[in-house]
Amino acid sequence: MSTEKSDYLLLFRGTNWDKGMSPEQIQKVVTDWYAWFDRLKREGRCSGGHPLQSSGKIVSGKNRAVADGPFAESKETIGGYFYLHVADEAEAVAIAQLCPGLDYGVVVEVRPVAEMCSVRERAVTGGIMAKEISLETAGGR
Amino acid sequence: MQTTKTVMNETKPMSEYLLLFRGKDWDEGLPQDELQRLLDGTTAWLDGLAKSGRIKAGQPLARQGTVVSGAKGKGVTDGPFVESKEGIAGYLILRVENEAEAVAIARSMPTLLYGISAEVRPLLDECPCFERARQKLNLVTA
Repeated sequence: MSTEKSDYLLLFRGTNWDKGMSPEQIQKVVTDWYAWFDRLKREGRCSGGHPLQSSGKIVSGKNRAVADGPFAESKETIGGYFYLHVADEAEAVAIAQLCPGLDYGVVVEVRPVAEMCSVRERAVTGGIMAKEISLETAGGR
Repeated sequence: MQTTKTVMNETKPMSEYLLLFRGKDWDEGLPQDELQRLLDGTTAWLDGLAKSGRIKAGQPLARQGTVVSGAKGKGVTDGPFVESKEGIAGYLILRVENEAEAVAIARSMPTLLYGISAEVRPLLDECPCFERARQKLNLVTA
């Protein structure tokens, strides 16, 4: 990973974009999507990414409740992600604009990956805790 | 996504799960000692998972970002994501045996009691849309 590069996560929102499209149309979009991903990987601008299974669980609340995720085909649901290594946000946005799903209602969220969570950062700034953070195995893929 | 991990001469199938963390700033209004305890607890939680080889990747996300939408991606707007409790604040990719283990890990997260929720999603190799399209094609050609 070169030091002047920044990391961004592309989050693809929308799992119902294929509604009303013919199987051939869907295959075309998905094939374009894979080609886009493979090209970004070859160029060293993307280190990984996956589609997500539509089913899942949501864990929340003081009683640590587990609910089935209401993921099935919605506009908001995250359907997958790419992990980018690029020069700056402009490059990440330019890549996002090439997403083949955009024409069919997919929305791409471009998020800079942070060194430290914002709560910890405030705590460090406020002198509540030292700046050490371990999690050595972390680092995006 | 299935990978394998050799544990004491025995190969266990491992699956990958994405945990998406949602929620507002949970530190607001917390007394310093409680905040300190929670941050230490979260660090210990992450370290434990990392040491046992269950974390493949993971990072917090910066609060600001950009949303790209519309035909040809012409709609580019600043995303005010983290102010809402639906905003994604970070993620972990877990490598575990099954969904039950991924859910158990999510349930053991210290910040769960402070309003952070975790979405647990299996990682796939192939887009479910592709699978649906293939099924439709098979139906058509059958």
